[in-house]
Amino acid sequence: MTTTPTTRRRTRRPSLLRRALGATAGVVATAMVVSGCAAGGASGSGSGTPQEGGDLTFVIDSLGDTWIPNNSAISSFQGHVWGHVTDKLVYVDEEGAVSPWVAQSWEQNETATEFTLHLRDDVTFSDGSPLDAEAVVANLDIWSAGDPERGINPIGLFPKTYTGAVAVDATTVSVSFDAPTLGFIPTLGYHGSILLSPATIAAPADEQADLANDIGSGPYVVESWKEGDNVVLKKRDDYDWAPEALDHSGPARIDTITYKVVAEPSVRTSAVQSNQADVAYNPSPQELPVFAEQGFTVAAPRYLGFVNGYALNTQVPPFDDVRVRQALQVGIDREEILSTVYTEDWLPAESFIQSNVPGATDHSDQLAYDEDAANALLDEAGWVRGADDLRTKGGETLSLTLHPNPYLATSSAVDELVAQQLRRLGVDVDIQAFDVVTYGERVAFGSPSVPAYEVTRSFVDAGTVGGVLTDADNGEDWFNLGQSDTRLVELATAVAGASSTEERDPLLDELQGYVLEQGYFVPLTQIVQRLYVQSPRVQGVSYNGLAYANFYTAWIEE
Amino acid sequence: MSSDYARYAVRRVLQAAVVVLLAYVFTFVVISVLPGDPVSNTLRNPENGFTEDEITRIIAYYGLDQPVYVQLWESLTRFLSGDLGVSLRSNLPVSQMLGDVLPSTLRLAGTALVVAVVLAFALAFAVQYLPPRLGQVLRSFPSLFLSVPNFIVGLLLLQVFSFQLGLFRVIDSETPLATFVAAVALGIPVSAQIAEVLIANLDHESRQEYAAVARSRGLGRVRLFWKHLLKPSSLPVVTVIALTVGELLGGSLITEAIFGRAGVGSLVQRSVSTQDLPVLQAVVALAAVVFVVVNLLADLLYPLLDPRVRLDGGRRTGSTTPTTDPVRPQREVVAP
Repeated sequence: MTTTPTTRRRTRRPSLLRRALGATAGVVATAMVVSGCAAGGASGSGSGTPQEGGDLTFVIDSLGDTWIPNNSAISSFQGHVWGHVTDKLVYVDEEGAVSPWVAQSWEQNETATEFTLHLRDDVTFSDGSPLDAEAVVANLDIWSAGDPERGINPIGLFPKTYTGAVAVDATTVSVSFDAPTLGFIPTLGYHGSILLSPATIAAPADEQADLANDIGSGPYVVESWKEGDNVVLKKRDDYDWAPEALDHSGPARIDTITYKVVAEPSVRTSAVQSNQADVAYNPSPQELPVFAEQGFTVAAPRYLGFVNGYALNTQVPPFDDVRVRQALQVGIDREEILSTVYTEDWLPAESFIQSNVPGATDHSDQLAYDEDAANALLDEAGWVRGADDLRTKGGETLSLTLHPNPYLATSSAVDELVAQQLRRLGVDVDIQAFDVVTYGERVAFGSPSVPAYEVTRSFVDAGTVGGVLTDADNGEDWFNLGQSDTRLVELATAVAGASSTEERDPLLDELQGYVLEQGYFVPLTQIVQRLYVQSPRVQGVSYNGLAYANFYTAWIEE
Repeated sequence: MSSDYARYAVRRVLQAAVVVLLAYVFTFVVISVLPGDPVSNTLRNPENGFTEDEITRIIAYYGLDQPVYVQLWESLTRFLSGDLGVSLRSNLPVSQMLGDVLPSTLRLAGTALVVAVVLAFALAFAVQYLPPRLGQVLRSFPSLFLSVPNFIVGLLLLQVFSFQLGLFRVIDSETPLATFVAAVALGIPVSAQIAEVLIANLDHESRQEYAAVARSRGLGRVRLFWKHLLKPSSLPVVTVIALTVGELLGGSLITEAIFGRAGVGSLVQRSVSTQDLPVLQAVVALAAVVFVVVNLLADLLYPLLDPRVRLDGGRRTGSTTPTTDPVRPQREVVAP
């Protein structure tokens, strides 16, 4: 979808007073923007001829906490900078397809426990040192184990089955695991798997915390930065190893990219509207149609991962009864959530993983809204409606507490709506919202006070799914089942340990159907966590599988 | 008087040092009582997927597994040797982080103070010397300035001067004009506090006999204001200004957020939301230093400026009527 770029030009300059009054009206109008006015969102893909040069300004809510690469790489904010300053071994596109980057090709053994990576021989870090097999081994080791004694975290989602890597020659790396790890190659395209110079990796934490010392091999280098304020990148003229999937080679086109922190969302979008900045991050979803109508490019790329939804705690009432879980599964009107809270850039959930994940299958029929079926299931479970229309059983009211996920801005609005829908079924829903710190302390999978944990989580490989659902192999035990459901344990372990996608895909399909049918996971909608409003003069932006905007391919139309 | 004055000065400086130290310890205790710390908060975000063993080892690196009194002792000895420590959030030296944000805050707070003082004196002058009916309207301005939320003024100024008129760009937040406009937003409520005290004192002074005498001798209203009323009325204002300096330095968070400035306010906000103890301790200590120094200067200046102020064993006692007592204006002067 693309909207026609229509730049507004002023032909006559109104008097100062009139403009001042207009400004006031503008503030009021912005405040009165209501949800539900639908308009097309546009992707950032370019049309027209690429141009060289220009400077791009990106206004962002925050630049995160630390710049120690391993400790920061998960952050949604710093990922924008890392994506331009560093390269990865493989590229993962919006559809989850893996393609060569610094690793030109790779092989694996039958059981997916031994991998061989063949590297390009021409890649250098911006300090001039080569990105060779030795450098890759140093990176793999620090991703896997970190160095807690130096204050360097491991990369949390790097496969725990890693046993080591060896530089066979300058361009060949051999990597070993103690169990089948089909997710290894896709993981190399994940947030945290950014390649840094061995000198950076060896530096102490306080040196790594200074972004200027973090040396990558990407198309941009850090020109200057100020904590909590801005990062200025400038292009590297000798860059020539972009992933083929990006359809552009050689140096980047835009000369500099400035990430500037502006905490107030309306000021970020106003800065783009008034041509002071080119891209605004995280506008409020309800405002998107207005920007699209005004001719701005609106991008809402999806990431790869779990959909937004509830992982139900099967050990506490009322979800210890499968019928109540199933009633919730069909008793939530997901269409209403999409039309009320979101715009058409959001897609309905088809499973409990996003539909762009390779191996995700369409289970929409299991998620169709059916109020009568939900009521029948609750009746059958013995919950009868009382005088106040709420259901009770043995003197207990059918009640549920939801905790909005503070990492997802729209979570509270979604929970409010779900609460209304469930009240129609006779369920008394209470909403307890916490800040990030308290949420981390109080809300956990399987906690007795948390009947439903609201999930939002990205991953690159569907193998991750198998690892978290039960407590087998130190899994996170999302549904508090332990290993009591043998069918679930069997399917999840098989998915986690599969050695080829041909073997895994049918198992993954079965797992999705089973989890939804048992009402363990109740999906709400697919997630868009990164939103961009762009000036129409920015063209050719690409988005990777983690929905980060990549300006390497972009240009500015003058 | 001079040896009295020296003893008085030494005592005040020592008191000031104790206040700063207590503020440092108090911050530590308050933050330590809260659950969580920035390191484990990050590690326990489920997106990160760390094992318990990894979390334990990393927490040990930061010394956060130590008993609270050990942590306090280490933090205190470090502080006394002039080391502010390392941020738990950014892993950067706290002194560097403060050094990064201080210039922006000083520019903003300094400009805002000038704006506030000029606005307050202009308002007070206008109230006295415009026709009474108009003056009555102006008297309500301080309450108006205090009751209009800071962010509304900020957003309106930004809309008009940046987005509509294009006089400055919000992404170049440190240019003189951008700083001035932000300072207006920040200075308006501060000017209200100064104006209230000034107006009340001018009212009081103009009712004094000496003012009546001056008027009866045919002195013009403007000359009366400048030559006779202004000095006694503005002495208490010095204390009010001293009190608002702390507010300007620490309370500019909203203005900074709206105008895209990276100052002390936004550093505090980020540090509070992540419980970044070393940074918070340093900021509180800094605020205490500024507050204490400014008030100390005001106190030390008083005996020199106003001969009526006596020093009595290190305690100052005033000898004038309550409303014009320059020593304790914050207690004596009631808002109009």
